[in-house]
Amino acid sequence: MGKSSLEKVVEEGISFLSKIFPLKTYLYFPLLYASFIWAIKRVKEWKEEIFSLKVWLDPDRIEMKPDEFILNFFETNPALNKTYEAEIKKKDLVSLRKNFFRLYPIIGLEDPFLSALFYEELKSGDFEKIVKEFEERVSQAEKDIEAFNGKLKLLEGLKSFANEMISLNLDLFSQDKVQDIFAGLIKKSLMNNDE
Amino acid sequence: MNKFRLLKENISCLRINIKLPFLIFYLFLFLFSLSACVSHLKEAKHYYTQGQRFSRLYQTKDAIASYKSALREAELEVKKNPSAQGYMLKGMAELNLELWEQAEKSFLNSFSYGFEKGEEWAQELSLFGLASSLEALGLGDTALKIYSYLLNKSKLRAVTVSAAQKYTDGILKRALQKKAKEKQKLLVAAFKVIEKLTNKDLSCGFYHYLQSQIYSHLSDYQKSFEEALMAKELGLPTLEIFRDNDLQIVFCYQQLKEKLSVEKWDKFLYQYKKWVKRWGWKNPVTPGWKKEAKHAPIN
Repeated sequence: MGKSSLEKVVEEGISFLSKIFPLKTYLYFPLLYASFIWAIKRVKEWKEEIFSLKVWLDPDRIEMKPDEFILNFFETNPALNKTYEAEIKKKDLVSLRKNFFRLYPIIGLEDPFLSALFYEELKSGDFEKIVKEFEERVSQAEKDIEAFNGKLKLLEGLKSFANEMISLNLDLFSQDKVQDIFAGLIKKSLMNNDE
Repeated sequence: MNKFRLLKENISCLRINIKLPFLIFYLFLFLFSLSACVSHLKEAKHYYTQGQRFSRLYQTKDAIASYKSALREAELEVKKNPSAQGYMLKGMAELNLELWEQAEKSFLNSFSYGFEKGEEWAQELSLFGLASSLEALGLGDTALKIYSYLLNKSKLRAVTVSAAQKYTDGILKRALQKKAKEKQKLLVAAFKVIEKLTNKDLSCGFYHYLQSQIYSHLSDYQKSFEEALMAKELGLPTLEIFRDNDLQIVFCYQQLKEKLSVEKWDKFLYQYKKWVKRWGWKNPVTPGWKKEAKHAPIN
């Protein structure tokens, strides 16, 4: 059976990244998925007018959230509620706050890069592993991307990948579904390459 | 004699003929260098405006790229043709890239070339840089005083907005460690500071966002909701803050559901549903960008 257009575009994306990061296959999914999501946002928010000045993202703000907000975050998410049942019951804010720092950007704000980086753990509901490995894996990814000198080339490549994806009307699917499609195709393509 | 005059005229004509291509060449060179100078300044302005446009559309990466291009062009401009305008533009690009020290130097240079406000702007940046350094060294209280001073005195919007963010973060961090009464006092004081900024610049969504966050710490969810709503309608600087603000709206909704009387809740819900429809949310607790919870919460 011939390959679908979608598979071809994903393969092209992987082939492009394999020239830039030949040994960092773990970056392919987060980079491709995140660039696609950002491209969709751009299309949808193009007409939105805002007046305030730019303030770069400050992750410190997550640390300032009130106790009630943190408790609510764990209580209202069914999977988190189950995992952290004991802490919620005891209102152990010290422990919950520590976990919140790592989980809020992924599960709350749904950062596309982070949610793809921890895709497997999110699927299996292994939140403890995310918390444990968050620091190390995120800083490793940052270092690996930072180490690449031709950032403009990388951005251009990701941009054209995302635009091709949009042309396939993939933005009509939910973000959830798109993530699963991406994960499946990238896994398949990498396995084919290994063979 | 006539021959001699004719010869002289011919020679001078020849000189003119020889000089003419050189003159044209120099004229072209002059015009070209002039147009190059103009184009660096023009390009810098173009990229700076582009950066501002990207910032307003949450396109942070593109905004940074544009400000970097503006900086590069402004640097070329001041190298060839140092001027108040060139240095001012350079400083503004640096300001947006949070290169505080460089921006300070650029504003000082723009002052020395005749831009009156340059010195004042440089002083503000010097203070902001000092506060950031003090904060990094663990001298948070002194840093907080400087941020507070800048909030009242700064004429640069970028400095005011950054100082407001740093000030609020600092106060909220302290409030989390205080007991109820002290916490309340601290938060109310901080709220008044930010409220003053909002009254001065009502269209800045980010100030409303900060107010909403403070109200949330004060457990006033009705007001926190109202401020978050204002912030959403006016717009926020980055996608992360925009999403965080959406989650604040959802959190207020959930808290008000528990805390309001039936009558008040019904009234609130009626209005809330209208907003949800306007924003195109999936349901009252799921913004359009968010994954839907697969099961109802256990409790």
